[in-house]
Amino acid sequence: MTGEHVSAQVLAAYAEERLTDGDAESVEAHLDSCDACRAGLAPSEAVRRVVAGVALALDDRLSTPGRVRPATGWRRVRVLVGAAPAVRAAWLLSVLVTGLLTLGLAVSPRMLPPWVLLLVAPALPVVGTALSYGPRTDPLHEVVAGTPQGGLRIVLWRTLAVLTVAMPAVVLAAVVTGISTPLMWMLPGAALTAGTLALGSLIEPTYAAAVVAGAWALVVLVPPVAGSAVVAASAPVWLAVTGVAVVVLYARRERVGRQAG
Amino acid sequence: MTTISVADLRVSYGKRVVLDDLAIELGVGVHGLLGPNGAGKTTLMRVLATVLRPDRGEVRLLGHRTDDRVGVRQARRRLGYLPQAFGFYPRFTVREFVEYFAWLREMPAARIPLAVDRAIERVGLLDRADDRMKHLSGGMLRRAGIAQAIVNDPRVLLLDEPTAGLDPEQRVEFRTLLRELGLDAVVLVSTHLVEDVAAACARVSLVDDGRLVFAGRPEELIAAGGDGDSGDSPIERGYTAVLRGARQVSR
Repeated sequence: MTGEHVSAQVLAAYAEERLTDGDAESVEAHLDSCDACRAGLAPSEAVRRVVAGVALALDDRLSTPGRVRPATGWRRVRVLVGAAPAVRAAWLLSVLVTGLLTLGLAVSPRMLPPWVLLLVAPALPVVGTALSYGPRTDPLHEVVAGTPQGGLRIVLWRTLAVLTVAMPAVVLAAVVTGISTPLMWMLPGAALTAGTLALGSLIEPTYAAAVVAGAWALVVLVPPVAGSAVVAASAPVWLAVTGVAVVVLYARRERVGRQAG
Repeated sequence: MTTISVADLRVSYGKRVVLDDLAIELGVGVHGLLGPNGAGKTTLMRVLATVLRPDRGEVRLLGHRTDDRVGVRQARRRLGYLPQAFGFYPRFTVREFVEYFAWLREMPAARIPLAVDRAIERVGLLDRADDRMKHLSGGMLRRAGIAQAIVNDPRVLLLDEPTAGLDPEQRVEFRTLLRELGLDAVVLVSTHLVEDVAAACARVSLVDDGRLVFAGRPEELIAAGGDGDSGDSPIERGYTAVLRGARQVSR
């Protein structure tokens, strides 16, 4: 029967067991290898009723499928954003650090000068981002890197998670210190985060964060820029840094979050 | 049909060459990847999992070149991978863990809830599906790892030392699962337990010192061994005989 399909009549006869054993065997041999004919083998009304009856009877006895969550778009975002526990740790860190520093500043401005907040707050998302991916901090890095959503995509999801918490902290810090405007604080925050991601496509993310944070400390602490001037009139600089970092990130997108570890 | 095809593969960590001039072709079925520790099995698995970029060579999965950005994304959707060592997020339940990878592998949303439970059921963990990962034993963790690897019904399934930590009964069940999965997917199982291969694999590849030194059926590996070779079973004697032969040639 190779090359030819089984006719509808023969199929119907086979289904109703009207064929001889020899014919039935050759039909079965063909059905084994032919999807089209298998599809044509529609169950009769009687068979359909038996199947429905069995399904109904089994329904009560089968274990319930547990708490399977409906796979909605919102669920997808929740799973992808909130998955890595390091992300949660990074959230906690930024809230705690900013909270403590703000408190310290409010209690005694002389003990804790405003530039300490300037040094720490914009670097919070850097630390958070570095903590949320990479072979050192993500226990599932190896498996995640081999998935289509791995690499840059999942790194951006996690960065988004970090920024949603770190940016309000940055804004709070800006308001408390009174140096410049909150927007002017968010720009270096964004630039440093983008810089960490871009550098993280070249070297281990934790090292990238260390380099970026170190560079930030130099800019804040060492003259000639030093202090409040970093955020006062430097918007073009930070936008440029962000732009360069995004270009690097795009060019090296295949390497982000997939470093050979 | 060939679904994994590797040619002229070379991988090195720094100056140390781990895989050299390796070529391998794999079709549907269960394949065993054998070799001594440090032979390059895990490195080959990582290259096939598209996690490690080779220095040189062409790797095709399901017809897609892995150095092609669009192709590799397509291939990754149909890929399942269980690394030898993998961590977990302690607060995740088994179900959340498997669901996470269903989303990461870009499965159609409508299929995810059922696929997640089916994968957990196939590894026999359905009664622990809502337990947190940190409360699982080593063998259960390994099975949860297998569940995440099969959740997307992969066409290419890579399992690196999947039987480590499983008790004898679970290993027998696992071999049955392997044979089922091998009906319509390329399943590559790396192991240093030669008996696992004899029991579950239709074909065997043997890697030594970064080179492929044997590819064939388990019976052929058994036939390579003689009474004088060391080993407790026929296939172990075949294994040591092939290794010895390969090392003499390379000298």
